[in-house]
Amino acid sequence: MAVITDIADALVAQLNAATLSQPITAERHYLPRFDLPEMQTLHITVVPKGVVLALGDRSRGQGDYSLDVAVQQKFTTDDNAELDVLTNLVEEIADHFRGRRLASYPDAAWLKTEQTVLYAQEHLAELRQFTSVLTFTYRVLR
Amino acid sequence: MADLLERGVLWLQDQRTKHCTRDVTYVRGAALVVVKATVGRTQYETDDGHAVRVDFTERDFLIQAADLVLSGNAVTPKAGDQVRESQNGQVLVFEVIDWRYSDPYRQTFRIETKHVGTETI
Repeated sequence: MAVITDIADALVAQLNAATLSQPITAERHYLPRFDLPEMQTLHITVVPKGVVLALGDRSRGQGDYSLDVAVQQKFTTDDNAELDVLTNLVEEIADHFRGRRLASYPDAAWLKTEQTVLYAQEHLAELRQFTSVLTFTYRVLR
Repeated sequence: MADLLERGVLWLQDQRTKHCTRDVTYVRGAALVVVKATVGRTQYETDDGHAVRVDFTERDFLIQAADLVLSGNAVTPKAGDQVRESQNGQVLVFEVIDWRYSDPYRQTFRIETKHVGTETI
């Protein structure tokens, strides 16, 4: 399989094995697409985002692989308490991967995590749905 | 002299309610009321702004303001309320996202909703 696919699967496996404040089920998708009624339950979606290739050393190339992890759920009230739980979960996920290699793909070194969408305000307003996106970047020399 | 336009609007709304409505249940928490609603704009849309595409159906309901009475109190719609519509043995559940008055005389609510679930009766 392609490196980015392997990394995505490793990310999914590690997410599903993680002990977080609430149980989660992450899935990898090429074309993530959901109907709003499905979003009553928590969705964690891993989507390959991009690859930047460069020279690593004399014999190897260096690839920086970016993957989005979307955390989404419709909320029932718009109380801070309900949304705080999801915001906290996003931070837990970010912390879980910071500085660590992926257990099932240790060739990938964590490079950075960006919270590219802290929370999508238009989703809060128009869908009454929490959406936050983390972008993980891993470096592989090969 | 009476405002002829206002009288005309009231007459039209009365006709709409009599001839172009169906019963829906408006729900807020444990409080509910059955009201006559005209189904307005209904469209299927997609939001693909953030890594994941979300498809949804939007629907507007027109409800006479005077009909929206919950637990004995006249209320205005509120985000998170539900409009439940029975159709072919199912209940379509719509969640209120926003609302506005649909006429200058504040007689009718245009309630913007999104479909969030379907229940079998």
